Amino acid sequence: MNHFRTVTATADEAMVSGSMTTRRTQISVKLAVAPQAGDASDAELARALVAGSPWAITETWRRFAPAVIMLATRALGSGSEADDLAQEVFQRVFAKANVLREPDRLRSFIFSFAIRRLRTELRSKRTRAWLSFHRPETLVDLAGAPADVEARDLLRRFYALLDRLAPRHRLVFVLRHLEAMTLEEVAAHMDLSLSTVKRALDHATEKLSLWIEADPGLAGFLDRGGWR
Amino acid sequence: MAAPGETRGRRALAALADMARGSVRPPTPAALDSGLRALRSRIDAQHTGRRSRAAWRPILRWSAATSALVATAAIVAVIGVRSGQAPAPPAPPALTYRIEGGNVVDGGYLRESGRAGIKLLFAEGTEFILMPGTRSRLRGVDAAGARIAIEHGTASFQVTPSPVGDRRWQVDVGPFLVTVKGTVFTVSWDAATEKFELKLRHGRVTVNGPVTGGEIALRAGQRLLVDLPRGETVISEPKPEEGLEFAAGPAVAAAAPPRQGPAAASARPARFDNDRRWTSALAAGHLDHILTEAERAGLKATLERASSDDLLALADAARYRRRMELARDALLAARRRFPDSPRSLDAAFLLGRVEEASDRGLARAVEWYDEYLTRAPTGTYASEALGRKMTLTSKLQGASRARPVAEEYLRRFPGGTYAGPARAFSRAP
Repeated sequence: MNHFRTVTATADEAMVSGSMTTRRTQISVKLAVAPQAGDASDAELARALVAGSPWAITETWRRFAPAVIMLATRALGSGSEADDLAQEVFQRVFAKANVLREPDRLRSFIFSFAIRRLRTELRSKRTRAWLSFHRPETLVDLAGAPADVEARDLLRRFYALLDRLAPRHRLVFVLRHLEAMTLEEVAAHMDLSLSTVKRALDHATEKLSLWIEADPGLAGFLDRGGWR
Repeated sequence: MAAPGETRGRRALAALADMARGSVRPPTPAALDSGLRALRSRIDAQHTGRRSRAAWRPILRWSAATSALVATAAIVAVIGVRSGQAPAPPAPPALTYRIEGGNVVDGGYLRESGRAGIKLLFAEGTEFILMPGTRSRLRGVDAAGARIAIEHGTASFQVTPSPVGDRRWQVDVGPFLVTVKGTVFTVSWDAATEKFELKLRHGRVTVNGPVTGGEIALRAGQRLLVDLPRGETVISEPKPEEGLEFAAGPAVAAAAPPRQGPAAASARPARFDNDRRWTSALAAGHLDHILTEAERAGLKATLERASSDDLLALADAARYRRRMELARDALLAARRRFPDSPRSLDAAFLLGRVEEASDRGLARAVEWYDEYLTRAPTGTYASEALGRKMTLTSKLQGASRARPVAEEYLRRFPGGTYAGPARAFSRAP
C-alpha cells in the first residue's frame, strides 16, 4: 500500500509588483494520505512501527494481540496472566522494532518474542516454586473454560501436570499440540534444531502419559466419554 | 497425538490437549481495548523513566533474593555515581502492603482464608477492602502504583495520596478500567447480570469500558450504573438522605468542586469558541454545569454555535441526566452541522442509545444503528451497534428475526460482549 502520493496542484499566487496581477503557478506538493491501518500489510505495518507512526501501535496490537493472548493462555492456563504477558511482549516488540531486519516477518518476530517471554515466565514459576518450597497452585483461568465443575477440575489437573515439565518441554508440547504448529514451526520459533524439538516432544508426551496413567481421575477421563 | 493401539495414557492426553485447546476463546473487543490502554500506560511510564513492570511478582516472599537485588542495585548505583554519571531523579520507593483475611496464590489471585473478606493495607494508608466472596487478582504492585482486577463481587477503595510522589492506582472491574485519582469509592461487578456500579464518595475517578462511550469522569457524590445487557449508562447524584452507603465527611467538601452561585454563573458569558471546554467539564464530571451553561446561553443558540465536541459533551451530559430530548437535539445538531466529522458517526450511534430510552423509539434506534453500521462498519461502536440491533430486533420482531443479526454478530465479533446472547439467538427456531 502506498501511503504517500505526489500530486500536482495549481495554486493562485497574488503578486504585488508594479501593477496588481495574478499569476498561476504550478507547484508540486506531497499529499500525505492517511493510511487505512487495517489494509496495511505486515511489512508496511513493521515499517510504520520503526518510523514511529502513532497508528502502528494500535494496529499491531489489534492484529496480533489476540493470537499472542490465546497462545499465552494455553501455555500458562491463565487468561489474566496471559494479558499481562502480552502487554510485556508488545512493549518489548515496540522498543525493539528497529532491529527487525525483514519487515514482512513481523508476525514471526512477535511470536518469537512471545515464546521467549513465555519460556522465561515458565522458568520463573519453577524458580518461585523452588524458593517457596511448595509447588505453585494452578488456578486455571481460561476465558472459554467449560462451566461444569468436573471439566474445570480436569483442566486444573492437566495444567498441574504441565507444571511438572521442564519449561522447554512444556513449551514444545503446547506449541505442537495446543497451538497445532508443525515441528518445523516449533523449531523455528524456539530457535532449536528439529531433532531437539522431536526429542523434547517425545519426552513430554511420554512423561505426561505416564503421569496421567498414574492418576485414576485423569486416566478414567476417556472411560467416561471425555469432555463434551 | 494418539494413534490406535497406543496406551490409555496417551489417548487421555490427546483428549485433554483437545479440551485445553478448545477452552480458550479470543479476547473480547473490550478486553483488547483495556489491554491496549494498559500497554500505552506501560509505554508512557517507560518513557517517563518510571518502572512500569506490571506483572506481579511475589517479591515479598523472596526475602533472600530481594536482599541480593537491593545489594546489587546499591553497588550499581555507587559505580554509576563514581563514574561521574548524573544521578537519576529519586524514584518513589516501592509500595509495601500486607494482606488480612487471605493470601496471594499463584497468578496473583487473592484467596480468602475466612468469610470476612480480604483487606489489602498499603503502608502509605491506601486500603482495598474486598467483600466476602469477591474474586479478585492483584495484577501488579510496584513503585509506580498498584493494579487490581475485580472479576466478580464488590470492593471498596480508599486511596491516600502518596507523600513521596504520584502513584497510579488502577482497578479492572469486569470489562471496565477505573483509574483512581486519590479517592474513596465502592465498585461492584456482577458477571452474571453484567451490571457495573461505582459509588464515589470523594475524589475523582475515570471509567473506561463498553457502553460508556469513551472515558467517563466522576466526581464526589456521583454514582455510575452501567447495565450492559440494556446498554444503559446512568450517572446519578443521590441526595444525602438517599445516601451512597457512606456519609459524606469533611473530605467530601474539600474534594468537591466549588459550586457556582447564580451571580457567579451569570457573570461569565457563554462562549462558543471550539475550545472543548465542555469536554473538559464532562471529563471532570460537571454534568449539571454543562446543562446550566447551555440553558443560560439559550439552547437554540447553543445548538447552532457550539463546536462538535461541545455538542457531543452536551449530549452526554443530558443523556446521563436522562434529559433525552436535549440529548437528541444536540446529537442531531452535531450531525446536521458537522456531517463529515467523525463525531457525526458517533452521534448516529448515540442517537440509537437515546431512542432506546423510550419504548416507542426502539424501531428508530435500529435505524440509527443501521446508519452507523453502514457508514462505519469497523468503527469504534460497530460491535455495540450490532449487538444492540440484535437485542432490539428480538424485542420488536421476535427471536427468529434476530437470528440472522446474531449470526452476523458471531461472524464478525465471536468474542464480543453480545456473543452469549447471539449464540442463544442463533439457536432460536
